[in-house]
Amino acid sequence: MAADLTADTELTAGGPGGAGADVDAYRQRVRAFIAERGLPMDREGVRVPESAAQERQIRDWLRALYEAGYLGAGWPVEWGGQAGHLPVHDLVVMEELIRGDAYRPLDQVMLAAHAVIAFGSDEQKRALLPRIRAGEHIWCQLFSEPGAGSDLAALRTRAEPDAAGETFTVTGQKIWSTDAQWSDMGLLLARTDPTAERHAGITAFVVPMDLPGIDVRPIREMTGHAEFCEVFLDGLQLGRQHVLGEVNGGWKVVTSGLASERAFVGANAIQLERLFQDLVALARTARLPDGTPALAHEDIQAKLAAALTRVEEVRLIVRDTVERILVEAEHPSDGPVAKLAYTETNVALSELALEIIASAVSIDDDGAQVADRWQHNFLWGRALTISGGASEIMRGLIGRQLLGLPRA
Amino acid sequence: MLAELGLPAFCVPEALDGFGLRVDVAASAAAELGAALHASPFAGLTASAHLLAHCAGNPQAEQVLAGVLAGERVCAFGYLGAGDQVARLVDGAPDADALVLLNRARGEFLLLEDPADWTADSRRHGFDLTRGCADVTPAAGRGHLLRPSPEAARRAVDLYELLLAADAVGGVRRMLDRTITYAGQRRTFGKPIGGYQAVQHRLAEHTVRARGMALLVTEAARLLSAEPTAADAARQARRCVATASLSVSSGAPHLLHDLLQLTGAIGFTWEYGLHYYERRAHQDARLAANPRHAQRSLAEVEGWTDGS
Repeated sequence: MAADLTADTELTAGGPGGAGADVDAYRQRVRAFIAERGLPMDREGVRVPESAAQERQIRDWLRALYEAGYLGAGWPVEWGGQAGHLPVHDLVVMEELIRGDAYRPLDQVMLAAHAVIAFGSDEQKRALLPRIRAGEHIWCQLFSEPGAGSDLAALRTRAEPDAAGETFTVTGQKIWSTDAQWSDMGLLLARTDPTAERHAGITAFVVPMDLPGIDVRPIREMTGHAEFCEVFLDGLQLGRQHVLGEVNGGWKVVTSGLASERAFVGANAIQLERLFQDLVALARTARLPDGTPALAHEDIQAKLAAALTRVEEVRLIVRDTVERILVEAEHPSDGPVAKLAYTETNVALSELALEIIASAVSIDDDGAQVADRWQHNFLWGRALTISGGASEIMRGLIGRQLLGLPRA
Repeated sequence: MLAELGLPAFCVPEALDGFGLRVDVAASAAAELGAALHASPFAGLTASAHLLAHCAGNPQAEQVLAGVLAGERVCAFGYLGAGDQVARLVDGAPDADALVLLNRARGEFLLLEDPADWTADSRRHGFDLTRGCADVTPAAGRGHLLRPSPEAARRAVDLYELLLAADAVGGVRRMLDRTITYAGQRRTFGKPIGGYQAVQHRLAEHTVRARGMALLVTEAARLLSAEPTAADAARQARRCVATASLSVSSGAPHLLHDLLQLTGAIGFTWEYGLHYYERRAHQDARLAANPRHAQRSLAEVEGWTDGS
């Protein structure tokens, strides 16, 4: 009676990629490296250096990660990648950076490297890739515009070619560019053919940020920090050497780039688990008017339990997605499902944190920092449900791609 | 019919002609039975079979188990009340010919193998129309005390709770699929209702939530299947059962009730049948005293109740 049930069982055994023990050993090495040398990141989403010394530290840390083979290992070997690299290692590195609260490269920015590898000329690769590895080039994206956010193909920044098609004059405005105020290079999307179908008239450029005609203005956000920038492009002159891929072939560059770091979606689960522990820590140190910690109360425990189920759901959704990504069997809707689940649960956790803080008359000294971080996270969390495709866009993608419903 | 498919034997050791501890397969089966609104008390049957199989040397337990595996007997599972020795809410009791009842206060299981040894009152349990349920009063002094290993006892309780959650997950998936199909077909103001964001986005949300619930149940089943005996593994399994049960028992009724809204007036009719699933998901939660029971277990297993 016992024999016949084995076929459909080992679906999740061995973890992502099924490489079990090797991955664990790799993880231990990464964790030790980060513990020893990692540059701490105090607040979610706060990345811009406040001093020259801090900027040096960030660049050194990124270089150390590349040198150790923890970043860029999946690049072609001739550009510094490692033979026998496993995609699951990239995921492990990102998870451990998050677990260790270490400064981590922005996934949107890492896609610049992937775009150069996939679409760059040999000359561009020679000029750009080693500088990324050396921490010399920090990149930003020049994608979104005041009138083109989630609907990126609506972008209106013009890169007007001269008669010979050799130089381009760029005019327009970009916005929400993270790190633009201290970036060395930008990956720019601009419209080169306004008469073509809107996806077909866009070109990608690699832009040195110190060229004349670029004016970067940081935007102060509701958190009090200035992480995003407006970038005004006025008469910026670019040449053929700045074109990445083909003229009018920019949409392909951006879409393949956006897909390149998709396994990193998995790292977000780690973040939620860590945030949940912060939530419990908060409830332990938040004192209600009767002097007892919030955690001692059943109503708070019930809310925490409900929050924990959401965190666990997201953890499994993400793990499930990553397992499919690693064997290249994912569904187009997997990314949107994971993003929606992660970012909205993140907001729910921060709302509960603020409820606990508001209900407490005092917070023990050892919880003060946690409370402070939660108040920041509460505000910051909405950056995640808006950027990179708003939740509303994700729901629409799920509706169409997974449920087969008509475009709303 | 269930026995022909081997269904009661998923969590019975191979030495006793079962499949071992295949909680994963049992959970899949429970979801299918839930989706089909099947009338069997599958969760209780599986939990009882597991328990009976771990009462070595008890002739009554062996006999009932043999009957269950052969498809000749139906054994239901329930909890004896603390004060009055009445087992309330015993799923399948009206048609069962054996009962395993847990006295939580004493940590004892009572096996009743003769329907003459109890009275069953199903008058208060008519909400779920797909399965029979009754309050059971055992006759004084009847039945046999079972002494399973503490691990088997704990696992039987976990199995019961988890398979009830799996049952509801099956129903949610079936009704979600049906609602999505309906939303793509039913047209209003010139287009399918699923083409309106107010409908489409809720269906997307429900799809994500249903996936989360299903994955939690699968994960809990996997952890329980691993026969966790080490304290930490057992704690992980318990934690995951509680998480899955809490997620499903609080999420499924709400989700189904919103599917009713999205289906509109046709969903409100008797014949459309969505109500069967709503009634059953509610009953699945109620049979395990959830969501609160799972909530409290989770608080305990997480160490929030220590007072530290």
